[in-house]
Amino acid sequence: MNFFERIQALDRRWIYLLVALAITVPLVLVFDSKTYTTEPTENIYQLIDSFSGRDDRAIMINFMHDASTMPELFPMEVAILRHAFLRDVKVFTICFTPTAAPLVDYAINTVKEEFPDIQSGVDYINIGYKPAALYLPIVLGMGDDIAEAVETDAEGRQIANLPMMENIQNYNEMNLVIETSGSSFGAMWYIYARPRFGVNVAAGITAVMAADAYPFLQTGQLIGILAGLKGAAEYEKMVDLFAAQDRPFSRERAREEHVSITDDAVLYKFRVARIGMNAQTVAHILIIVFIIIGNVGYFFEKQREKKV
Amino acid sequence: MFETISNWIAALLTLFIFSFLYKDNPFYRFAEHLLVGVSMGYFIPLVYNNAFMPFLYTPIFLQHKFILIIPAIIGTFYIFRFNRKLSWLSRYPIVFGMGIIGMGVPMSMHASVLVQMRSAMLPIIDINIFLIFIGTVTILLYFFFSKSHEGLYGKFTRIGVWFMMIGFGASFGYTVMARLSLLIGRIQFLVGDVLKIIQ
Repeated sequence: MNFFERIQALDRRWIYLLVALAITVPLVLVFDSKTYTTEPTENIYQLIDSFSGRDDRAIMINFMHDASTMPELFPMEVAILRHAFLRDVKVFTICFTPTAAPLVDYAINTVKEEFPDIQSGVDYINIGYKPAALYLPIVLGMGDDIAEAVETDAEGRQIANLPMMENIQNYNEMNLVIETSGSSFGAMWYIYARPRFGVNVAAGITAVMAADAYPFLQTGQLIGILAGLKGAAEYEKMVDLFAAQDRPFSRERAREEHVSITDDAVLYKFRVARIGMNAQTVAHILIIVFIIIGNVGYFFEKQREKKV
Repeated sequence: MFETISNWIAALLTLFIFSFLYKDNPFYRFAEHLLVGVSMGYFIPLVYNNAFMPFLYTPIFLQHKFILIIPAIIGTFYIFRFNRKLSWLSRYPIVFGMGIIGMGVPMSMHASVLVQMRSAMLPIIDINIFLIFIGTVTILLYFFFSKSHEGLYGKFTRIGVWFMMIGFGASFGYTVMARLSLLIGRIQFLVGDVLKIIQ
């Protein structure tokens, strides 16, 4: 039995073990790697950054997932919230599935721990869970009056009476909706709200969905995409590079400069996606090696059969 | 203390599930059944607290918005699905659902078809738009089955197949990335939250 025959007959459990090691080791022994930002991620960052310090501009994050897709989506939600809190950008959070409601609280609290001055109702409003049956009326209603469309926040307070709403009425002010989802990429917003009210829509999605979402980026229906863990890693990097250092955003700098992820000065929760991408890289290299060996073995086997 | 105990239980159950990769075993089956049961048990009070109480009970009984009784009754018609004689009643709430879907057809048509078509008809000013043009045309030709894929026409459809293969490859690559991300999330939990090796 030659090498390739042995590889072809290898017990799959050895492969599982190698993949587990390829992921675990880079997570425990963190090494520095470069994260290259891409235009779809930069577009979202740039637009949020342009709202900084303005009380007549806001963004909204629609949590459209449950705990099963948290490893990919949660780091991007944390990174966006951290960016908004660092740059004094007003934030709305909303969800249309009951299982997402605890995740909204968890994401806000995870970031808020580092921002003791951030106040609910002043700097952000958690609208909380609204039934999926009200999805369309809310999407359309927000075009006229956000406070009227959702009435109360997660704590049961009248949204119209909250200080953050003083200069915010509809999509003219809340001009960016980001949907983080494992099953859709902002469809309700780019189908109904974008053509009618001109609101900007972006999507934070699991990598599985990225290939399907790109056509909507090309048409301009989505202004940007955060695609899986890679998108989250890119966003984390830009927050560290610009917002955390109080520097203005620049695409050139975002692509040329790099931030160390071994530096403990940045909390683990704010570099979790970049560390995860280290493990991705090692695992991808391993999988590519497996594919090459498997294919070479297949062709060798074919040649051998021909000779026989 | 509570967090430590809950983390260790979660870690143990994660390992039970991972044990299936070695071979099927009672630990895996225990964790699998527990997941189904806990999911249902978790979902029922969650819906009760987040949906039933704030959107039905409170508005009707405390705020006296009695108009909500009508959709509430129509909603309960779903239950008649299990009764042969009265199952026809379950069609009424379904009708409302279908109505909402119907309402979305023109806008969906615009967003998912017309806008996409428009963006595929741009002047060919750079290589990307040229590739989109070639890809769109050759793939459409491939799915035109009234003519056999032979000769020059067959060569065009062959290009369409290559474009599709590249598309499938990109989707598969992203799928691998997504699945690994889920595993990364679990291992980050095990070595971070449970073993405290990474903080």
